[in-house]
Amino acid sequence: MTATPTTSLAATMRDGYKDYGTGEMAVRALDGVSVDIARSEFTAIMGPSGSGKSTLLHTLAGLDRLTAGESSISDIVITQLSEAQVTEVRRNNIGFVFQSFNLIPSLTARENITLPIDIAGDKEDKQWFDEIIGILGLADRLTHLPAELSGGQQQRVAVARALVSRPEIIFADEPSGNLDSRSGAELLGFMRRAVKEFGQTIVMVTHDPTAASYADRILFLEDGKIVDEMRDPTAEKVLDRMKQMGH
Amino acid sequence: MFRLAIKSIKHSPKRLILTAVAVALGVSLVAATQIFTNSLSSGFSNLFSESYSSIDIVVEPDPNSDVLFAADEQPLSDADLTAVSATEGVADAYGVILTQGSLVAPDAGASQPGPPTFVQNWNGNADIDTGAIAVGTAPTQPGDVVLDSETFDGGYALGDTVGIAGADGLSEYTLVGSVELTSGTSLGAKFAWMSTDDAQEFNGVEGYSTIDVIADEGADVDDVTAAIGEELPEGTRAITGEEKAAESVDALNSVLQYVDIFAIAFALISLFVGAYIIVNTFRIIVTQRTREFGLLRAVGVTGQQVRRMILLEALVVGVIASTIGLVMGYLLALAITAIATVFVGDIFGVLTLPPDAIAWAYGLGLIVTMASAIAPAIHASRISPMEALRESATESKKPLRTRNIVGAAMSVVAIGLIFLGLYGDFDRPYIYVGVGAVLLVLGITLLAAQLLVPIAYGLRGVLTRLFKVDGKLAANNIRREPRRSANTAAALMIGVMLLALVATFTESLKTVVTAQFDATSADYFAIDTAGTGIPDGAIELITNTDGVADVARIGVGPVQYDGADSTIAVIDVDASKDLMSFETDPDITEVGDGTYVSQSIQDQGVEVGDTVTLTGGGGTVDVEVTGYFNDEQGGEFNVDWTTGEEVLRDVVVSQLLISTDPGTDVEALQTTLSDELATDYPTVLLQSPGQLAQFANQFIDLLLGVISALLGSALVIAILGVANTLLLSVTERTREIGLLRAVGLRRRSVWRMVTLESMVMAIFGAILGMLLGLGLGSALVLALADFGFDGVTVPWIWLGVYTVLAAIAGVLAAVWPAWRASKLDILKAIATE
Repeated sequence: MTATPTTSLAATMRDGYKDYGTGEMAVRALDGVSVDIARSEFTAIMGPSGSGKSTLLHTLAGLDRLTAGESSISDIVITQLSEAQVTEVRRNNIGFVFQSFNLIPSLTARENITLPIDIAGDKEDKQWFDEIIGILGLADRLTHLPAELSGGQQQRVAVARALVSRPEIIFADEPSGNLDSRSGAELLGFMRRAVKEFGQTIVMVTHDPTAASYADRILFLEDGKIVDEMRDPTAEKVLDRMKQMGH
Repeated sequence: MFRLAIKSIKHSPKRLILTAVAVALGVSLVAATQIFTNSLSSGFSNLFSESYSSIDIVVEPDPNSDVLFAADEQPLSDADLTAVSATEGVADAYGVILTQGSLVAPDAGASQPGPPTFVQNWNGNADIDTGAIAVGTAPTQPGDVVLDSETFDGGYALGDTVGIAGADGLSEYTLVGSVELTSGTSLGAKFAWMSTDDAQEFNGVEGYSTIDVIADEGADVDDVTAAIGEELPEGTRAITGEEKAAESVDALNSVLQYVDIFAIAFALISLFVGAYIIVNTFRIIVTQRTREFGLLRAVGVTGQQVRRMILLEALVVGVIASTIGLVMGYLLALAITAIATVFVGDIFGVLTLPPDAIAWAYGLGLIVTMASAIAPAIHASRISPMEALRESATESKKPLRTRNIVGAAMSVVAIGLIFLGLYGDFDRPYIYVGVGAVLLVLGITLLAAQLLVPIAYGLRGVLTRLFKVDGKLAANNIRREPRRSANTAAALMIGVMLLALVATFTESLKTVVTAQFDATSADYFAIDTAGTGIPDGAIELITNTDGVADVARIGVGPVQYDGADSTIAVIDVDASKDLMSFETDPDITEVGDGTYVSQSIQDQGVEVGDTVTLTGGGGTVDVEVTGYFNDEQGGEFNVDWTTGEEVLRDVVVSQLLISTDPGTDVEALQTTLSDELATDYPTVLLQSPGQLAQFANQFIDLLLGVISALLGSALVIAILGVANTLLLSVTERTREIGLLRAVGLRRRSVWRMVTLESMVMAIFGAILGMLLGLGLGSALVLALADFGFDGVTVPWIWLGVYTVLAAIAGVLAAVWPAWRASKLDILKAIATE
């Protein structure tokens, strides 16, 4: 499942360009982005809407393709791979948590969590599964369908699913965006624990300074370029930085 | 509202494409038939009026008369011809002899006769002869014959010896010419002309079948017709050519009307299936647009306006689909006539768009579309404005209880009606059966949703084991919307049900037929292939052949009984005793000669010992009823040979049952006999019971084939329905599929998931249909026990074929939806709004 680490980098992008549309209608979403995502680190990507932060996440994760440049996941250069191969990489190396609609409505919480393993046709690591479920407090919710779970529980199931196959890297897109502040804090706490306790690598897109403050490192994006970086952030420092950027 | 409806269709026309295609297919079937029969009718009407245009008056047997002519007499004699010629105002009168024979192909040695050959006497008038000499000379000398040029060109040369087999066996003539038919086409038949004397000799009868009259210039045709009428013998009439043409057209139209009704019946089945798709489509669309309707309601649109909007959408779809259907129908009719023209010549009038076709096309198309949209429209009008604010647009899970109760009630009532119709004693049982069958289909459709839930549970395990996640997801999808899946499967169920019903019926029929032929102790059957009867000479030949033991004749003839047309079958009772299985009461093999009546005559209150009066070619005869017969030997009356000759005077032998002496080589004797018959009596075909059974079974299979083909459009529509439902479901599940792709599901897996879903629905529908069809078919067969059915034969092979076809149909139906699903842009699918 997990590729043997040869470097300390979980994901990289070199001179990433992404254009949408052609001709006069063309919009440059990424404008020469180079970034390294270190292992066992919780990285947050921040920026105003339209800054390209979601595009950066999507291209890093192999959901979308760069127009130019190169990106890799644990030394696999995915920009050169075919669609089927990229799917394979996603399946084996990447976990996802989206803002909403994270779960397949017809599958129970347990089935949703084991979905990546089932798709890969692998055997479930029972001990690991129980550990995640214990930490996320989902033990008594496993037979429920998503519709029977609260928003916070649904997002926790999504995190469990992202963790279960021990991916190289987890990409999260505003995971707490739809949650109330308590559930949001709880969820981000779990994600932080996963980084600290299991050495999980997480990249998260957010526009919420409080959410970003859970990260080890924040990348600030503006007009498709990385304009700043912050280590060991607090909510106040982030807010100040954002005010400087004029938001 | 109208603008909103149009905009909504314009905004996403794709979701309505398959719906429109389904309606259009059904409509095109009706339109094509209407256009085709209309053109055929106008074509023939031209042909008839042309062929009677120069004949002023026709003298012929009166179809409304009680007088019947025996097989060995002609309605009109030389004296009649003389009398007609002498009538005031008659310029020319031609005695016409028209009979049938079988032209023996020049190189055919064996008894393989072609299509019927019409034999006519040569009158030397192109209007009467329906053609003029193209090559050679007219057949004025004894022994001369001319053929229509189409046949002539098919391998004949002047001076050839031409054999024509008729009621008295084979006669030979010298070919002296060919005739170009006035109509330009022989419609696939063959024509031969010879001198009047030869024609009479060939026919074995003096006199004429009709007399064609050309009136004096300026004479009043009606007056002349009346004057001729007074000269005529009983049972004949004089009619103007114009009226005769009109009568012929009327007769043809009434036949074509049945073709129309037949086609409309099959089109209705297709549209009924189409209605399922429309209901499903509109239901799904309404669900998908719940938030939109909620918003409309929130900004002040009334529920009624929402309802009207949906119905308007349905109206637009109906109009477009009907128009497409009409155009498709026209093209289809064009294609059919083009193909038919190649085979039978140009018999069609100009292909027009008759008002009937337009009325049926739009009438059916609009009614079906609008009626199907009513329930979804009502559903939409009840959407609360609150729905606009709801997070997800999933349909609230209503329990299936109401649906189950209604479905069960409908099914019970339906089965009751079907049994009443089949076993009850009603005037029009088919109405009960028909209404029952429709109710049953609807009832089972409703129940199918409940049935699908446990099946999907069961399948989940199997599919998961076989196809891992893809299978599990497919099973889940079916279970998630049991109503939708059930309605989709039910559309296919209808077509398969009818197929299975017909197959059960035909297979059971084949069993009966085979058993009947197995039961006979006759070694051969002789049948007549030209429709003129088995010549006496042939019977004599067979009887006198060494090795032949018994020969039993079966004849048929028309009679008048109780003021209505009827038929009698004439049997050699003694000779038949051992060769035929009679089911009579009292037993014919003990009672012997006499008159046995059918169930229908018995139902009129006729009992054994009563006297019935039969009028035939031989005159009016009173006969005493000896018993009843239970099986169908043809005709309402079975009489012994003596009685038959009394009533009919000349009995046309249609069949012989032949047995051989013990120890005879049956196969060798058949070869010997067949060879001998081929020389002089090529129209007599000798067959073993096994061969005849095989022949009958082939015919029954052909029947099954034709009906299956006609049900084809209903099946195609049902498959479109599966595709349509899947397509809409895939659209609905865009985000879900996107998520699956994001977490690593391959395109191939997505494709397989949709295909599995499709196959399960298709096979489920097919199995339901087969169960229903088998049930209804069995009920039908058992109800027809009086007609000789003694058990149901399950058409296992066909059921297997239908299941495999359903699976293939499932794969095909999934192609477009699966392609769409697997090509989904992941980013769009997972994009937060």
